[in-house]
Amino acid sequence: MGSTITEKILARAGGLDRVRPGQNAPFRPDYMIAYDYPGYTDVMFRQMADDFGIDRVKDPERYVLFIDHMTTRNDEREKQMHDVTREWGRRNGVEVHEGMGIGHQVSAELGYAMPGKFLVHFDGHVSGLGAFGALGWGVRKDLLEAWVTGAVYLDVPASTQFHLEGRFAEGVDNRDLIHHIIASYGADACAHQVMEYVGPGARNMTIDRRQGLCAMAMFTGAVSAIFNPDEKSLAYVEKVARAPFEPVYSDPDAEYSAKYSIDLDALSPQVVLPGSAKSANTRPVEAVAGTEIQHAYIGSCASGRIEEIRAAAELLKGKKVAPGVQFNVVPTSQRIYAQAQAEGLLDILAEAGARVAGASCDFCVGYASPLKPGDKCVSTGVLNISGRMGSTDAEIYMGSAYTVAASALAGRIVDPREVMS
Amino acid sequence: MSVVEPVFAGRVAWIFGDDFDVDLIIGVENIKYYDPDKLRSVCMQAFDPAFVTEVRPGDIVVGGRNFGYGHPHYPAMISLRNAGIVAVVAESYAPGFWRGELYQGMPLVTVPGISSVLQRWDDVEVDWKAATVRVARTGEVLQGTPPSAHAIEVTEAGGGLNLLRAQYGGGRAPAAAETVPAS
Repeated sequence: MGSTITEKILARAGGLDRVRPGQNAPFRPDYMIAYDYPGYTDVMFRQMADDFGIDRVKDPERYVLFIDHMTTRNDEREKQMHDVTREWGRRNGVEVHEGMGIGHQVSAELGYAMPGKFLVHFDGHVSGLGAFGALGWGVRKDLLEAWVTGAVYLDVPASTQFHLEGRFAEGVDNRDLIHHIIASYGADACAHQVMEYVGPGARNMTIDRRQGLCAMAMFTGAVSAIFNPDEKSLAYVEKVARAPFEPVYSDPDAEYSAKYSIDLDALSPQVVLPGSAKSANTRPVEAVAGTEIQHAYIGSCASGRIEEIRAAAELLKGKKVAPGVQFNVVPTSQRIYAQAQAEGLLDILAEAGARVAGASCDFCVGYASPLKPGDKCVSTGVLNISGRMGSTDAEIYMGSAYTVAASALAGRIVDPREVMS
Repeated sequence: MSVVEPVFAGRVAWIFGDDFDVDLIIGVENIKYYDPDKLRSVCMQAFDPAFVTEVRPGDIVVGGRNFGYGHPHYPAMISLRNAGIVAVVAESYAPGFWRGELYQGMPLVTVPGISSVLQRWDDVEVDWKAATVRVARTGEVLQGTPPSAHAIEVTEAGGGLNLLRAQYGGGRAPAAAETVPAS
């Protein structure tokens, strides 16, 4: 019996010949990533020094820090927090990446996400790096264990295979696919497992879409998601890789706990009702069409890439955002921002009345441009729990960039296919 | 040495449904508070305002499938722990919640089918390492899925940080540089 790509990556990281689902062992990540955030990194820095005598880490190249949250107010509190991170990075010889955008995207741009590599973070959306044939795993506070010991104990996950056929229809993207999966198979369909995307539909999918898809894995209960490397991901990584890497692939006779087949052509736009991404909250866009909105947002680690900016520009070109709607478009990284600018997309958006902001996590978490009580927002952010983007009395609907942009034009949730046809 | 009793004898203080978002225990407007008095004042208010006065140290809570789904914040479970809850028994757990609470040291017992068998205030005996639940009312013993040896080790230590401290505290951890360079 063969192994999945996930099992092969973990076997290497664990120094083992092979691993099997359910096996518990320490695994040594290639990179151990964090963004600075109050109560997380500042506490970890202190614990490392005070509890574990780590004045300076042994393998600084394995530690990665991003400054991507709390970057938009430029006040004293932000400065103090980031200074603690900068100082720790300087003292340890650990790279601190700031002003470049959302870490889960910048990790790819800087070549950390190489096929076959194992990366951990306290934040689960690091799963987005699975687009490159790497395994990204959000281990929450066990990141400290990794930082202190160099390895982290994990249960080897089983994998669920999603065989994708075809291509997304116009006005439909990876966001509709993940919500279709949650609605069809359940919010715990892949609990404690890795989602593995295969088939012609997976190969057809662009890197941006793969990243957005993998970034949302946690909402099926998965610990991560992954694509096997192919020409597209290898071409990307070869330009940016910061270390030698060895791609691994699932064996044809690898074992899966379940296999599902999905025809991408048959998917339609999905919208998630306020509360959470669970199955019962997922609706075809037609079912919520007409819901008035005051806010629209394209961005986050699961969106805001060049394809989403292009989608928004395509819909908004020569039109105006509806009166009374604030439409924030936040490219996921400054590199994407520059590309969108070079393609003329940001001018189109600005002329249409959208507000384009520099890359950060702050809009997705309600730190920048927070929602007020009574507001309704349609969002490509990763979460729509109450209070996520501001007031706990605001409501957040989630959908694709097509759905968000079309809704921003209409002032109410609409089916983007109606606007595009 | 374990800081956790091997068997809990207590009552079922509450039974939550499937896909339960633990932040609702205290209300999403309170998920950033750690002050014990504040947490006590909001704990389970939306479910049973008398909860914190009726619950006794040693009681447990029961969850359905995918307990902890959503984006769990730590204060909700801290509020239950402060009120006396010593363990969770659920049909299954959302991975993020499971990892986060294991780190916090809360015994998490997986017993498929549990939520339809128990009633509120049932007296139960929970052997968390064996994943068995004895129900006094019926005499039935439910068998779940025992935790891994590592999860037992973390729980017995009182959580991930305490285990690390026991293993590496006071000395130099494996990740420390061999020599401090002259500066």
